[in-house]
Amino acid sequence: MPKLIIDDITVEVAEGVTVLEAAQSVDIPIPHFCWHPALGKAGACRVCAVKLLDGPIKGIQMSCMLPAQDGMVVSTVDPEAVAMRQQVIEWLMINHPHDCPVCDEGGQCQLQDYTIACGHGLRRYDGKKRTHLNQDLGPNIEHEMNRCIQCYRCARFYQEFAGGTDFGVMGSASRVYFGRFEDGELQSPFSGNLVDICPTGVFTDKTARFRARYWDFDMAPSICPECSLGCNTTPVARYRELLKISARHNDAVNGWFICDRGRFADKKVNSFDRPRVPLVNGSSSGWGDAVDAVAKKAAEFAPGSIAVVASSRLANEGAALLPDLARALSGAKLCFFSNEVICRASITAASQITPHMAASLDDVASADCIVIYECDLRQEAPMMLLAVRQAWRKGAPVFLVGKGAPLEQAAAVSVEAVDLDIIVEAPIGIFDRPVIIFSTMRSSAAEIKNLMAAEAKFAPLFDGPNGMGMAKLAAANSTISLESAVKSGLIKGIITIECVIADELRGEIPIIAALDWQMNSSVKNAGVFLPTTAWVEMNGTFVNNEGRAQQFKKVMAPGIPVSATLESGHPPRIHSLDVPGGEPKPAWEVITEIMKRL
Amino acid sequence: MIPDTLKTKLKRRVAAAITNREAAIDVMKSLQAHYGWLTDEAVQEAAEIVGLSTLQIEELATFYEMIYRRPVGRRVIHACDSISCWAMGGEALLAHLSGHLEIKVGETTADGAFTLLPCCCLGNCGEAPTMMIGDTIYGRVTLESALEILKRERGEI
Amino acid sequence: MEQILFRHNRPGRVVTFEEYRSEGGFSALKKGLTTMSPDGVQQTVIDSGMRGRGGAGFPTGKKWSFVPRNLPGPRWLICNCDEMEPGTYKDRILLESNPYSLVEGIILACYAIGVRHAFIFIRRGYEQAAANLKNAVAEAHGAGFLGENIFGSGFSCDVDIHLSAGRYICGEETALMNSLEGRRANPRAKPPFPAIKGLWGGPTVVNNVESLANVPYIIAHGAEWFKGTAATAEASGMKLFCVSGHVANPGCFELPLGTRLGEIIYGPCGGMRHGSSFKACLPGGASTPYLTAEQLDVAMDFDPVAKEGSRLGTGGIVVFDQHTCMVGATLNLVRFYARESCGWCTPCREGLPYVVHLLEKIEAGQGREEHIQILKEHVQRLNYAFCALAPGAMGPVDGLLRHFEDEVREHITKSRCPFGGS
Repeated sequence: MPKLIIDDITVEVAEGVTVLEAAQSVDIPIPHFCWHPALGKAGACRVCAVKLLDGPIKGIQMSCMLPAQDGMVVSTVDPEAVAMRQQVIEWLMINHPHDCPVCDEGGQCQLQDYTIACGHGLRRYDGKKRTHLNQDLGPNIEHEMNRCIQCYRCARFYQEFAGGTDFGVMGSASRVYFGRFEDGELQSPFSGNLVDICPTGVFTDKTARFRARYWDFDMAPSICPECSLGCNTTPVARYRELLKISARHNDAVNGWFICDRGRFADKKVNSFDRPRVPLVNGSSSGWGDAVDAVAKKAAEFAPGSIAVVASSRLANEGAALLPDLARALSGAKLCFFSNEVICRASITAASQITPHMAASLDDVASADCIVIYECDLRQEAPMMLLAVRQAWRKGAPVFLVGKGAPLEQAAAVSVEAVDLDIIVEAPIGIFDRPVIIFSTMRSSAAEIKNLMAAEAKFAPLFDGPNGMGMAKLAAANSTISLESAVKSGLIKGIITIECVIADELRGEIPIIAALDWQMNSSVKNAGVFLPTTAWVEMNGTFVNNEGRAQQFKKVMAPGIPVSATLESGHPPRIHSLDVPGGEPKPAWEVITEIMKRL
Repeated sequence: MIPDTLKTKLKRRVAAAITNREAAIDVMKSLQAHYGWLTDEAVQEAAEIVGLSTLQIEELATFYEMIYRRPVGRRVIHACDSISCWAMGGEALLAHLSGHLEIKVGETTADGAFTLLPCCCLGNCGEAPTMMIGDTIYGRVTLESALEILKRERGEI
Repeated sequence: MEQILFRHNRPGRVVTFEEYRSEGGFSALKKGLTTMSPDGVQQTVIDSGMRGRGGAGFPTGKKWSFVPRNLPGPRWLICNCDEMEPGTYKDRILLESNPYSLVEGIILACYAIGVRHAFIFIRRGYEQAAANLKNAVAEAHGAGFLGENIFGSGFSCDVDIHLSAGRYICGEETALMNSLEGRRANPRAKPPFPAIKGLWGGPTVVNNVESLANVPYIIAHGAEWFKGTAATAEASGMKLFCVSGHVANPGCFELPLGTRLGEIIYGPCGGMRHGSSFKACLPGGASTPYLTAEQLDVAMDFDPVAKEGSRLGTGGIVVFDQHTCMVGATLNLVRFYARESCGWCTPCREGLPYVVHLLEKIEAGQGREEHIQILKEHVQRLNYAFCALAPGAMGPVDGLLRHFEDEVREHITKSRCPFGGS
């Protein structure tokens, strides 16, 4: 363990840790552009210069390139080091367009921060600036090459880390250009990370362009609801509108990145036709009347003839109340899953897996053998695919087992995988840290039981952000699927909690009440509708696929986006202290309200 | 479209390479020899033959000096502008060629015969100033002899 | 004077395989492979004290010894024939007159290091040299000097010739490896050094043409003999000096290492042209700080030139007479480097165009006193670039400011170039 001194502070770090990271570990920030925790060193930008005053190496050195060694005496404040960092910023700002007022990166721009931090204020260069033409990179990402400081992060992320092949670096000398062969949408399922990883405004989120300044953002730590992996995100809202989503760092889960699905998914939260007020028989109603109506209607049903159905969109806080709700409804059947096969598969996976057996995304990335069993990660868990690529880059073989595991998913991240027909062909036994990835939506309970007999870690995939949480609750409360409840012939009415039920499954059974924040067939057919908040409008917990409970915080209050009201020319001409469309409440609160009336 | 024989030959070159990428420069050069410059179509073909994306071929094509991604004349004049030739009148020679051919540096003559490009040291410094036309190196080029050389090269095209 | 590399030269043409062999060619190869161990060959080259002829002057044998003996997997030798340093043309002259010494030297080096497969990375524009090498490799194959089980020694070796697509930075050894692998020729971070992790991740040695071509003669005649061919006790071997610029008789001459600069210019080069007078020279290619008339007595060897504040570099001497504007010359040199930057690191990519801009202003009579200070800062700070290109580019600027600051200032005070430049 090398021990060194940085700015008079003694630091002890693990072997191989760079001086830059050693300094960070004691809260000494050193400016850096090309170095990135996920991408490692590049040595390109030269802004992390420090001076080594004594020890095995002396003089000006790049702290990102230098492994910490015993006896080093490092100064980040030495005048020569300060002058070098200032010089690097001067070089980088020679050609930068200084268009910060119209740049979406403004306020969260590393180049701005380090320009200040490094003390470059006066422009000495009086020549012309170089300019570039931008490319159309598709609907999601805006390209502004003139802002580029050539740190190479984008190209390194895109090709090396994410295995994309349609974006990179062209040209040379002072004319290097980061882009595509020709205009067109970026093909990598992780392209949106260019927005996060660019230290200035070359790549910005086109879907939220010119909508808000950084210092006006409403934001809070959150969890992605698009699949069961629970990637950490930071949603950004302004004027009651969810504008964009960026990755939030969590080494055990998603690292520094998220997938494009999570980032650019349809922002249903903002949808103008989103049901926002309680409805009784299709007419808007106050909360009190609507909840009363639910209790009144439910009382008309014989004991045991109501089914309460939820989906894994529902956060744990609401899900945990459902057994009580079912009891309060005179022994209603409680269904955490609609489909019988998925229900049994999910419960099997959730009850068999122990924390020791569950593979986090980080475990997947450091596995020495990967088996993808009968699933397509592009659809079910894109970030898992990125983790698989990291394992593959370190030498792990990747086996795709079964027809449900198409080879194209490996090609999407430039991984050379081995296609197998059956699981026994994968030589799992010869590896130290194998991980088997499977889906509870594609494999039966029997198959999963069989798979989980192997000596390996497991990464099960569920059908929603709280799939594991629902499966655990389902097992603990001996619930059944809606499918088998309906088959019993006893069910005469259904209450749906953030859940869509297939018409053929429901048949003629009426929906007594629906709780949801999205418009769907359950909402349309419900006798009573109660609006709930979306994940960005509440605090809550999702349990991800490995059993990790993660909290998400309220980013914004519910309400019709100001921009939506402006589409009609003017905000509502009704004077009220209430926020228009501000009625939705968290599902757990609505459930409590119902229970109070039963 | 390149002829099948060339395609087969280049695929064999890739198959014999230590990695596909190792053959990329050779493939690009062959395609350039075929088309005169590395056309967009040639980039597509190179990508297919080498097993890289068009962008990855472009990354290489735009880095290396002797791969042309713009149309060039039938002969490219590379006039050395490095130090030894500079000391021996290289600037005047380049200006003279430009004036005589009635094109600016970087342009191609109207008849498509010549493209005039400055280039870095050709390794003929003892015989400065130097220029290379096609693959032929000319040393101790004077303003007079330059015109003779152009005439001869034009006759050979 | 005895010649080593030029001893087989024929006027106006390349020496033939038969001629080379009849004059003792490939006997060193036989001696090495049949009577010496790989370590013995390496030790002889170490003992010869030969320092690499590509510019950096690192001892060739010592470079070989850094390759771990017992690492599994392939290892590689690359002959760096990407001679693109302005003012340097020695490798071309050598290969256009005799490609065989190089081929023989490569095989011996491969034997010493345990390399099965060597590459010659040759620049664009050296078509004749490449053709000669292709023939020489084919002839060596035909005679059993390359291929399987050479001389029944159990040692097998092949040589591939790779034609570059042109870029100065390819001459940097790690950039060269990237180029050979079919990547953009950005230099790689060191460590790991190529001897540990180089081409395709395997141990790799990169040697200059001239260094390798000398190896057969070291093996044939011994380390002491080689040392003795130099002009001074400290130097070792002969050196190809290629002279260009304002001398009467520019050319490439093989002279004892340590020959005095003045002896080269006023000896084989026939002095200055048209009776002009010597003002300055680049002693070893475009990246070496200028030497002035006061330094004509310097022994042209690595350490003595370094003591004078410059570098021996490649031995490409570019001579300037009294009519030369040193600001203009320096501007030309830095323009070259700015254009040849690979674009990887900030100092090189942005700093060099900045220096070009300042020198353009000064040369155009628009310079200001503070520009001199900014230039000095750049001489200092471009040292902290990723590879040696940018520090090399500052060599002439450093020389300009040390020896000709008055001339720079004259441009500024007179608001024009005193030599009538633009």
